[in-house]
Amino acid sequence: MAPVTEYFTFGEALVLGLSSGPACLASCGPVLVPSLLADGAGVRRGSRYLSTFLGARFLGYLLFAAVAWELGARVSLPPAPRLLIMGVVHVLLAGVLLWYAYSVGRACTQSCGSELVAIGAVRKRGISGPAALGFLTGLSLCPPFVIAGVRAAELHSAVAALLFFAVFFVGTSVWFVPFISLGCVRRSQAVTTVARMAMALIALFYLFLGLAMLMGRNVYGR
Amino acid sequence: MAAEARILPHREIAPRSIGRSVLLTLPIVLWSLLIFSSSFRQPNRSAQIAGIMTAVFMIALFFMMMRTWSTYRWRRWFFVALGLLFPVGFIHTVMVMRGSMGIPMEEMIAGRTPFCFMPIPLLILPAALTRTVVFPGSILPGGGMSRSGIAAMMGVWLAITLVIGKGWCSYACFFGGIEEGVASLPKKAKLRKIDPRWRYGPWAVLLAMVLLSLALFEPAYCMWLCPFKAVSEYVAARNTVGLVQNGIFVALFAGLVVVLPWLTKKRTQCAFFCPFGAFQSIFNKTSVFDVKIDRTRCSPCVLCQNACPTMSLTAESIAQGETLMSCMKCGACVDACPKHAAVWHIKGTEVAVKPERARLMLLYAAWGMAVMFGGTIIAEGLAAILHVFV
Amino acid sequence: MKIREKLGYTAAGLTVLAAVLVPFLLYGVFTKGFAALGLHVDEMYSGGPKVRTIHNAAYSIDIHRPVFPHMLQTEKPFVQLDWKPVSSLPGHVSDLVDVDGDGQPDVRVSFDVPKDPKTPLRVNVEALNPRYEAMRNVGKERFSKLIVRVDDAILVRVPLTHP
Repeated sequence: MAPVTEYFTFGEALVLGLSSGPACLASCGPVLVPSLLADGAGVRRGSRYLSTFLGARFLGYLLFAAVAWELGARVSLPPAPRLLIMGVVHVLLAGVLLWYAYSVGRACTQSCGSELVAIGAVRKRGISGPAALGFLTGLSLCPPFVIAGVRAAELHSAVAALLFFAVFFVGTSVWFVPFISLGCVRRSQAVTTVARMAMALIALFYLFLGLAMLMGRNVYGR
Repeated sequence: MAAEARILPHREIAPRSIGRSVLLTLPIVLWSLLIFSSSFRQPNRSAQIAGIMTAVFMIALFFMMMRTWSTYRWRRWFFVALGLLFPVGFIHTVMVMRGSMGIPMEEMIAGRTPFCFMPIPLLILPAALTRTVVFPGSILPGGGMSRSGIAAMMGVWLAITLVIGKGWCSYACFFGGIEEGVASLPKKAKLRKIDPRWRYGPWAVLLAMVLLSLALFEPAYCMWLCPFKAVSEYVAARNTVGLVQNGIFVALFAGLVVVLPWLTKKRTQCAFFCPFGAFQSIFNKTSVFDVKIDRTRCSPCVLCQNACPTMSLTAESIAQGETLMSCMKCGACVDACPKHAAVWHIKGTEVAVKPERARLMLLYAAWGMAVMFGGTIIAEGLAAILHVFV
Repeated sequence: MKIREKLGYTAAGLTVLAAVLVPFLLYGVFTKGFAALGLHVDEMYSGGPKVRTIHNAAYSIDIHRPVFPHMLQTEKPFVQLDWKPVSSLPGHVSDLVDVDGDGQPDVRVSFDVPKDPKTPLRVNVEALNPRYEAMRNVGKERFSKLIVRVDDAILVRVPLTHP
């Protein structure tokens, strides 16, 4: 039976997640909102999109947390390699956003079908768009993630750290549930075109940020 | 090939009598005297002369609108003057107060960055969630370039929007006149085929900028994408990133405000990019004035569609007898229509029954705002020029 | 005339009336209404409210409440200190400042005060309390770490190491 202190720690993780939720929403919003709007309509489809996005985001969190904990570097890597990793993630995120904007336009000319749109070849198996976007968003180390990571790394084992992250993640994900309602928005040509254009613009911005980071400049860093 | 649109009354109508035109212009004469009375009493000679010139200019334009039954070309004179003279007055004031168009950090910390209407839609979410205005200005008058403060600009914006909705983009925006002027210079458009999906651009920019402003907690459009930073002010570049930002502003201004309007004879920045314009489109739903197409008279010859500077008329919308949400109430389509099919309209009334009454009521409201807001800005710009000579 | 038409013309007439009232009434109402919403400019720009003043012989040092940016903002938490009036400052300022008001000096702030107000300023901050970050030859680095002259005051912003 887990010691009482573990319950308090997981309670702390949940509260931290719930309080960080709005910040998570704001940092994921530029990727999530337009991509959700560009995809097909329907609450069920929106739920599938969101759960795929969040699940992949969770994997991204866990992967980075596990690697960082295993390396003993905790989450606070030295600035230079961290900037490099962030730069690569931002550039990849920009690429995936652009590719997804293109793919969803081709896939959803009449209707999107029942499957979530894959990036890459439309007819053949490709990587699920929301999965790729969610995974890369999870890797991009938004501030709540960093705070949770620092706290999780203080725990006595990798398993405890990962569990802490999982509970924290559940806390943040509660705030994403209302986004399912975006599935109710009628997908006219106007809505999907606006969403795709917005994705392209945001992708260009992330590309710029990523390239700046690769050149050693953290435009929005502490 | 689509027929070129002449933005002139195509129909052969005798001008309105001078007497009636003067009578209809009288309210605007009184209004202009009221609005500019303070400049008449200024000790500064250049401000006095500028005030008088501007009042006469606005009255003359309105008189011509009455005499010739047309709106667009006279309104365009005002709008181009506003677009040209705002940067003159603004840059003059900035150079006198700061010696540079770049905003130094000191000014931002002191809350003396002047508040422009463009970031209004971007500030809503951060303000709603954290009660914070993410703009380096002052809520109330803060001195220096902050003028009357953020609250005052919000007050002006709300008041004018309540009166004329998206007519802001034709009668109040002090940036749109630049591209409208450029677009009017060539006789023919060199680029005629424009993918209609570009009309969704402003909404995409609005969505992206709202989301990024919330994520970054700053007015993202002002920091990265506003073309009009090139003719007003911008954050002083302290490093490479700052230089890149300023480069983006200049490139967007050159492309969207000069080159594309020249090539297309459209207000391309307004039609394909401006997020504030997309935001203002929402207020077209609340505005009582609009433009309708009388389908019993419509040919369709698509002259109105070609004349529209923002592509707010499509074959589908014309078939339904209306403009799109992006209509700025500039009057180009009404003036271009040879059959009196495109008409001014008051919501709830019958289409094409007494359209001149609708036009008059709109113009009294819109021109009143133009004199009050745009006219004041024109006078300031004129005063800055006259100050050199007087 | 149908009811709808009457309503339409009434609304149009009210709109024209509203236009007349804008400079005399509506503008003021909306301006005051917005000001009354209780919004404030982001403290990352404004520096936060002043909480204490330390009086020296010829000048004073205003201490502001520490500013903790929102989670998504990329500036560090900081505290702003204002020296004023500039005209009364010596050519070189080196002051021990008790920032948190516990009676113990927390930082030593040193900067030159040039006669020409356009000369860029540089500041050194020695952190006697580990809660504050030391600064060496810092100018206008970022909003959370700078020295600037604003009107008749010199503002120094010292980042916090631990929120």
